[in-house]
Amino acid sequence: MVWAQTRPMLKKLLLSLALLSCIAAEGEERARLLAAKRVHNLYLVEGRDIVVQYSLHNVGQAAAINVQLTDAGFSAEDFDIAGGQLQVKFDRIAPNANVSHTVVVKPKNFGYFNFTAAEVSYQPSEDSAEIQIGYTSEPGEGGIIAFRDYDKKFSPHVFDWLIFALLMIPALLVPFMMWFNIKSKYTITSRSKRKAD
Amino acid sequence: QYVAFAQEDEVEGEEDDLIDDEEVNVDDGTGVEVEATEGEEEEEEEEEAKGSPDADTIILFTKPTGTGAELPAGKIVEFLVGFTNNGDKDFVLDAIDASFRYPMDFSFYIQNFTAIPYNRAVKPRQEATVMYSFYPAEAFAGRPLGLTINLAYHDADGNVFIEPVFNQTVSIVEIDEGMDGETFFLYVFMLAFAVLLLVAGHHFLSSFGRKKGSKKTVVEMGTNKKDGVDYDWLPKEVLNDLKKTPRQSPQQRKTKRVASSK
Repeated sequence: MVWAQTRPMLKKLLLSLALLSCIAAEGEERARLLAAKRVHNLYLVEGRDIVVQYSLHNVGQAAAINVQLTDAGFSAEDFDIAGGQLQVKFDRIAPNANVSHTVVVKPKNFGYFNFTAAEVSYQPSEDSAEIQIGYTSEPGEGGIIAFRDYDKKFSPHVFDWLIFALLMIPALLVPFMMWFNIKSKYTITSRSKRKAD
Repeated sequence: QYVAFAQEDEVEGEEDDLIDDEEVNVDDGTGVEVEATEGEEEEEEEEEAKGSPDADTIILFTKPTGTGAELPAGKIVEFLVGFTNNGDKDFVLDAIDASFRYPMDFSFYIQNFTAIPYNRAVKPRQEATVMYSFYPAEAFAGRPLGLTINLAYHDADGNVFIEPVFNQTVSIVEIDEGMDGETFFLYVFMLAFAVLLLVAGHHFLSSFGRKKGSKKTVVEMGTNKKDGVDYDWLPKEVLNDLKKTPRQSPQQRKTKRVASSK
């Protein structure tokens, strides 16, 4: 009796379970990209290279198709591109795989600059029509130092050292000549036995 | 800055039963170890410990890659948190904060890392990634600790959510570096000690082999001058030179000169 009553309920339960698992399975077969943008430099200096690394990690179950990475944060009037491209495309990123991309830029001005996120767009699976848009992590605000200040601290200062050496020569030479003259009076050379006085 | 309304727990309608206060707030916001009080009327102290159902988060450790179950002491740990907005309103990611907890009692804070504010707006159907990094202290090496990482965000209506994206026990391991300053000087010390042993052994053995009391032959000079000065420590060349030239003290020279000039 109890069994007959629970039969339709059991059927319903099984059906809902099947449906749920179907949905769940479908939900899982998606690619999911985590994108990071990192500024690699320790010092950001005007006129010198800044290395920017982008890394895309696929944490989903399916491959990400048609991945496009676009960085609109480095405008042409503030930055020169010294290497790499600001727009790159990856055909496919397999699940649990990651790709990385590097761009080298040279800032034209100094001051505070806000490094903004780059945009990533991809198809979450082979047969999905929608394009998923995401953004990378933002490095945040960085201070680009003026070249003069950086140079003052880090350049080898060869010219300054040469001038210093030149200026030190009389200061060293005069005492040396004094000593040498006195010493040579008391040195016994091989020719004469002894010098008078 | 966000005023929490008195009926905060009624937010979004769904899953309200989870927001109620009988749970222990293990994944609370910063600094509050107070157990849940009855009503949820306090602002900003007792936020929901769950996230919004419209948001989906995932964490990925990039330095070091893996599950995050083992973290290096004294080295950087970096991870990414991906946020997907499945709703139809904007979300704003406020901050991530990470903290080490006592593994037996997650409400006991051992170390609280700086929260990094992001203030990232995420539009509906879009994703965003945020990055966070910290250094586990070297002192924690070899210990298991509870690591809790919370992502705080709010939606367009001003509801604040704090979602624990990571809440597990991790063990802090010490990465063996190989050659560092300590091991280098250890090797130098051991080398010096070995050399010392060799020298001591050699000295001991050679003195043992020799007859006792035999020393190298002493050059007997006798007493050169009547004043009994001992010259035998001088090298031979100087001694010969001494014998050849008559030595005079400056006093004697002066008196001689005076005498001769007169």
